[in-house]
Amino acid sequence: MTAQYHVVGESLERTDGVAHVTGRTLYTADLAFPGMLHLKVVRSPLHHALIRGVDLSAAERVPGFVRALTHADVPHNVYTILGLIGVEPEEEFVLPVDRVRYKGEPIVAILAETEAAAYEAVGKVQLDLEELPAVFDMDEALAPGAPIVTHWGNNTFMYEGHPCRRVRYGDVEAGFAQADHILEGEYRTSPIEHAPLETTGCIAVPEAGRFTVYTNTQAVYFSLDNTSIILGLQPNRLRFIGGTVGGGFGGKVDVIVEPLATLGAMRTGRPVRYVYNRQEEMQVSSTRSAETIRIKDGVMADGTIVARKVTGLADCGAYSRQTPYAITKFAANATGPYRIPNVWVDAYCVYTNRTPTSAMRGFGVTMGHFAIEVQMDKIAERCGIDPWTVRFRNAHRNGDVKPHRKVTSDATLIETMQAAARLVGHGLPPELAAMTSAPRTEWEGER
Amino acid sequence: MTVSTYFQPDSLPEALALLGEHGPDLLVIAGGTVAMPLINEGISLPAKVMGLRRVGLGGIEQRGDRLAIGAMATLTALTTLQEVPLLAEAARHTASWAVRNMGTVGGNLFTPPPGGDVATALLALDAQVELVGPAGARLLPLSGFWTGFMTTAAGPDELVARIVVPVAPGRHAFVKLGRKAANTPAVVTVAVRAAMDGEAVRDVRIALGAAGPHPLRSAGAEAAVEGRALTPEVIASAAGAAAEDAQPFSDQVASTWYRRRMVGVMVGRALAQLASAEQRGA
Amino acid sequence: MASVVVAFELGGRPVEVLVSPLATLQQVLRTQLGHTSVKDGCRQGGCGSCTVLLDGEPVLSCLLPVEDVAGRRVTTLEDLTPVDGLTTVQRAFLDANGFQCGYCTPGMELVTKALLERNPAPTRADIAEALSGNVCRCTGYVPIIAAVEAAAAAGSAAAVVASEGATR
Repeated sequence: MTAQYHVVGESLERTDGVAHVTGRTLYTADLAFPGMLHLKVVRSPLHHALIRGVDLSAAERVPGFVRALTHADVPHNVYTILGLIGVEPEEEFVLPVDRVRYKGEPIVAILAETEAAAYEAVGKVQLDLEELPAVFDMDEALAPGAPIVTHWGNNTFMYEGHPCRRVRYGDVEAGFAQADHILEGEYRTSPIEHAPLETTGCIAVPEAGRFTVYTNTQAVYFSLDNTSIILGLQPNRLRFIGGTVGGGFGGKVDVIVEPLATLGAMRTGRPVRYVYNRQEEMQVSSTRSAETIRIKDGVMADGTIVARKVTGLADCGAYSRQTPYAITKFAANATGPYRIPNVWVDAYCVYTNRTPTSAMRGFGVTMGHFAIEVQMDKIAERCGIDPWTVRFRNAHRNGDVKPHRKVTSDATLIETMQAAARLVGHGLPPELAAMTSAPRTEWEGER
Repeated sequence: MTVSTYFQPDSLPEALALLGEHGPDLLVIAGGTVAMPLINEGISLPAKVMGLRRVGLGGIEQRGDRLAIGAMATLTALTTLQEVPLLAEAARHTASWAVRNMGTVGGNLFTPPPGGDVATALLALDAQVELVGPAGARLLPLSGFWTGFMTTAAGPDELVARIVVPVAPGRHAFVKLGRKAANTPAVVTVAVRAAMDGEAVRDVRIALGAAGPHPLRSAGAEAAVEGRALTPEVIASAAGAAAEDAQPFSDQVASTWYRRRMVGVMVGRALAQLASAEQRGA
Repeated sequence: MASVVVAFELGGRPVEVLVSPLATLQQVLRTQLGHTSVKDGCRQGGCGSCTVLLDGEPVLSCLLPVEDVAGRRVTTLEDLTPVDGLTTVQRAFLDANGFQCGYCTPGMELVTKALLERNPAPTRADIAEALSGNVCRCTGYVPIIAAVEAAAAAGSAAAVVASEGATR
């Protein structure tokens, strides 16, 4: 490294480092404002139910109770987080009108002078719910006669009129006919809670004509724009201050707390603090979606994959949040970093009565790669070939076309695997050690 | 309901008087490591709470050939208790350093999963519970203290004042299976205490934690090893008997099925440890 | 619900606070005394981010009624941080990048201080056990343990210098 570099190769002190090690960093919940109210939410104890009635009278008598917020208070009560980038339809309720779709769904918000009073009032709200059959399994949700979670009559997110995100490339049946081996596998992943050490929360402070919202969101403009739509406020009346996040991992990109807290500030003229407790963080904040991935591969005797058919199901829970986008990423990555000439993908975003799911570190892609890499090992085993060799033989090289028609121009898998082999002291056969990501010769490209 | 009063009695008589006066409305807390989380999240909403940190029950005294451990002695205080190494070992495997600085031996009798690791060790040690009420003090064997899931033989007007533990030579073994190496709730805890007569095991007590509605002794496992040398066959038969005696439950830590299997495995490990243990006070 | 006055020592200075019954030390430190280095992660004693030192021993302030610390000595990270510069432990965490989001850091550092006072040369196993009640969800445990080892090394170097100074 020559002297002209001051950053590359150097260990630099983080700009927020001194504040972190001295405990001086101020996170959202460390702030307080004069007259600040505490917002707590009455949540559905049932997974799926009709709301027959809500009786606030006992709650209103709790000393310190200030007011409640119901669906009637919300200017634009139904939204979808990805509506900002054109995803439709709007389907999640800020506060549901007549039906709850998951356990823990907010029904009424309580504003009180202290947190203890807010908890006490929440405990005194009487809910009259009529339980409905619920569905928790994706295959059951797709079967005829399943309880329907959405308002459009089936349990899948609709992609341009189709119940799944589709990829069609080459002729997958012809590929299977040509193959020496057919390998089928089913892979399942679990929902995972991010469990950030700092729970999700915000404080909305009314100022002359506008609202300043201190939030630990990972997506400050996403939050601002959705809050603007939900509350019917011009964006210039909202000022969001974020940037300090006590652990997010994707769990703080949904827009859940800011609209209600800001609405509370609008209705009372006072600062409103809405911070999840640990139980809420675990039970109602989004998780990574559970996925079921079914793969059928057609493989030649030398380990080359010639066809792949994939059905992917991702459980978005009761509302889709960012999971439709996860499925698109899944569909686009269903071949992994490997060249497969014939590909057929159907990827479904499935609604159930589980906690809504959303972003988490590579969501959609990570689950797919778990399945794909286990599948690669099975291919190696079936063909009697070393697992490294199978991956080198199928690795993307520059000039290869991906199933979504993008031409590969930055392939590095071969070089990365060569470097990894060196680091772990694994000797590669000369054939693999000599490979590069350079475009295939005409002869190689014909396969 | 917001807490209206937090009582901090300065003596045991004062604590008993408050308990008599406020009766079932009074939530009694010791180290607070179980009750405070529920209060903090609004799950438990007591009007009146009594804390026992000032009643003067934090000490540990010799009583003849027994040790009288104040109910408010912290788990940290137990970790260095040389007279009863089984108890020290159990305490060291309980929760984290900060929690051990707060949690108490008396509180551990009430800690979920029903009965903590220390309570399980105390059962193997044949400890007694000193209950104090308006009628005075009475000693109850720990084996008769728990009456069901989170219920005990303590009267509504009584408090646990001390735990009395015999100090006797012998061998012990403590095995805890958790989901990680430290600071972890038990899948299964096994505490064993025995005298040895040459190779033969005498007066053995095998206690199982997180394997029933409260810590249990396994009569089957004890019968399988009593008077015998700890051969692999004897250990295997005791392990099988313990798995049958267990009344395990499912929770977020482990399933009934897994706990039952692990009771057998951990009793086997504990007895193997006992067989190889050097003679030492237990 | 009558409020009560509680007096204790915070960072070597006497403080008196008016609190509602059973208010936690965490709540009082954060909202009445401005010690926001005491974090609020779970209020269940499960994460360690609210750790403070009580008479020098690590405890969880979320589980401790403030009335229980009357007359006792409480120490938070605010009390240890010098006006200029950093403590040995803070310097070690900064240099080793023993933090990511920073939320667990105050608790980690207080436990580290208490550990090194009792055991100036801990093994990695000692460190892992001592910190087992402090959760880092960014999962940066390896640099955290490295930071504690560096703090121990720096501390013993400082002790050698100090004793040499005393001999001279």
